[in-house]
Amino acid sequence: MEQYLALGIFLVVALVFGVVVLVVAGLVRPKKPSPEKLSTYECGLETQGPTWVQFKISYFMYALVFLIFDVETIFLYPWAVQFQKFGIFAFVEMIIFIGILVVGLWYAWKEGALEWL
Amino acid sequence: MQIQLADFALMMPEIATAILAIGLLIVGLVVPREQAKGISFLTVAGLVGIWLLNFLYWHENASLFGGIYIVDPYTVFFRFLFLTAAIIVALAAKDYVNTLERNQGEFYALLVAATLGMMILAGAGDLVTLYIGLELMTITFVILVGYQKKEAKSSEAGVKYVILGAMSSAVLLYGLSLVFGFTGTTIIADMVPRLTLSGASPLLLLGIVFLVAGFGFKVSAVPFHMWSPDIYEGAPTPVTAFLAVASKAAGLAAFVRVFLIALPELQPYWITIVVVLTAITVVVGNLIAIPQSNIKRMLAFSSVAQAGYILFGLVAFSSLGVGALLFHSILYVFANIGAFAVAIVVKNSTGSDEIKDYSGLAQTSPFLAAVMLLCLLSLAGIPPVAGFVSKFYLFMAVIEKGMVWLAFVGIMMSMVSVYYYLIVAKAMYLGTPNREAKPISVSASTQIALVICLVAVIFFGVYPTPLLDLAMNVGYSFFPF
Repeated sequence: MEQYLALGIFLVVALVFGVVVLVVAGLVRPKKPSPEKLSTYECGLETQGPTWVQFKISYFMYALVFLIFDVETIFLYPWAVQFQKFGIFAFVEMIIFIGILVVGLWYAWKEGALEWL
Repeated sequence: MQIQLADFALMMPEIATAILAIGLLIVGLVVPREQAKGISFLTVAGLVGIWLLNFLYWHENASLFGGIYIVDPYTVFFRFLFLTAAIIVALAAKDYVNTLERNQGEFYALLVAATLGMMILAGAGDLVTLYIGLELMTITFVILVGYQKKEAKSSEAGVKYVILGAMSSAVLLYGLSLVFGFTGTTIIADMVPRLTLSGASPLLLLGIVFLVAGFGFKVSAVPFHMWSPDIYEGAPTPVTAFLAVASKAAGLAAFVRVFLIALPELQPYWITIVVVLTAITVVVGNLIAIPQSNIKRMLAFSSVAQAGYILFGLVAFSSLGVGALLFHSILYVFANIGAFAVAIVVKNSTGSDEIKDYSGLAQTSPFLAAVMLLCLLSLAGIPPVAGFVSKFYLFMAVIEKGMVWLAFVGIMMSMVSVYYYLIVAKAMYLGTPNREAKPISVSASTQIALVICLVAVIFFGVYPTPLLDLAMNVGYSFFPF
């Protein structure tokens, strides 16, 4: 508990410090707003259009297909490490697994999930 | 853990279902859209094949892969139940699927995938496998519920199901993890000795409460039933039929297995919650069904009430209870899908789900009206048809345990249910048909589905012995107390 006490004090001090700095700055600084100052900051460029825009659904499709194959790689690592031990059985099992994923990719492709325009 | 190749032989029905689901997806891709109608035949043929294959496993009683998967008469019984439901729904869904512009093949692939999830749920011998089966079922159903992309109601139902399904899964998963934390094992059969050692700690009881809530959601027991009417109404009717029957039975299969096999020692603790849940489910489900004017909503609340009756079998905590529960579940499949199949046909022809539009159906289409009437009577539990026998055994099972009041509540509410089932019958038989109402033409495949339901409902009502004996034997081998 002793060690956590130090940590707790540190946490409280950090919070108080942040609040104090913001409050003091708010009280002391001059306030001269202008339209230029109030505009949204976007990498130093002028903002273009509204912030609520529609996304192309293809982003989502891409992400979904990517995610599946990303997770597959995670499964492949432990499989590769233990491959020697399990032998032909693990090989067949992984072939089936990848086969199912490939059918999914084929499906996504055929349904046009990979087409951008 | 040593993987035995022989274990895979016992899982052939599941493997065949998985192959069928992927095969249907591929066929849907390869076959040109004009010929996609043949996919329904392929689905039904495949499912019937798996149904027949399942007969090979009646006398198995094996625990596979070190207890992760169990093939016992209970699993096999539920496989039959899910496959039967899937076959009838696939037959009845054909007309609906033909009206879709695209994605016809996927509908059947998803239907079969959902069936696979249910089979895994019923056979799971450990909590992780159970969860995988559950998620396979739920996620597939989410897609099916929102299948009518262009219809706002269907999309809304899909989104609601995603959110509520995820929430209930999270609750269930938390419960499962607490149980795992206390027992140190995910294998359901290994939990009993470890639980007797640790006893009932408050945190474990909390886990059990979460489990009841999670499974209660899946079987739509009150107060976790709020999702079902909206989603049942919004989903395409064939999907609703499958959701109301098979997914409920699947949730129940897992519910019963976890509570009777893993947690029988804690029965004095969980029985109270389950009894209260059962009683309010039966009362609330039946009472709210009364004012419904939409047939799908009415059937949704009636299915909430039916879940309550089925839970009597768990409350009874005996082999008689489990047997009656199995028996009632399978009869519920025929009666409920039969009623929904008529609703699909009427919806396809008139475009309406309102009960008032069933007016005079007996004059224009006597066969449809007869199927609807007998299925509703079976749901209500009126003697000549099947539902009576199974309800009788459910009530007997709880009376045997001294809970006469619960049986009394059940019987009272059965009488209440007759009222709202007969409102439909009244509209069909005493109402006058619309002037321009024509006899509804029913396609061959839907007719087969309707005949299967009709014959099953009448046959098992008149001569229930073989199926009843079977269910009782399964119940006894599953829970011999």
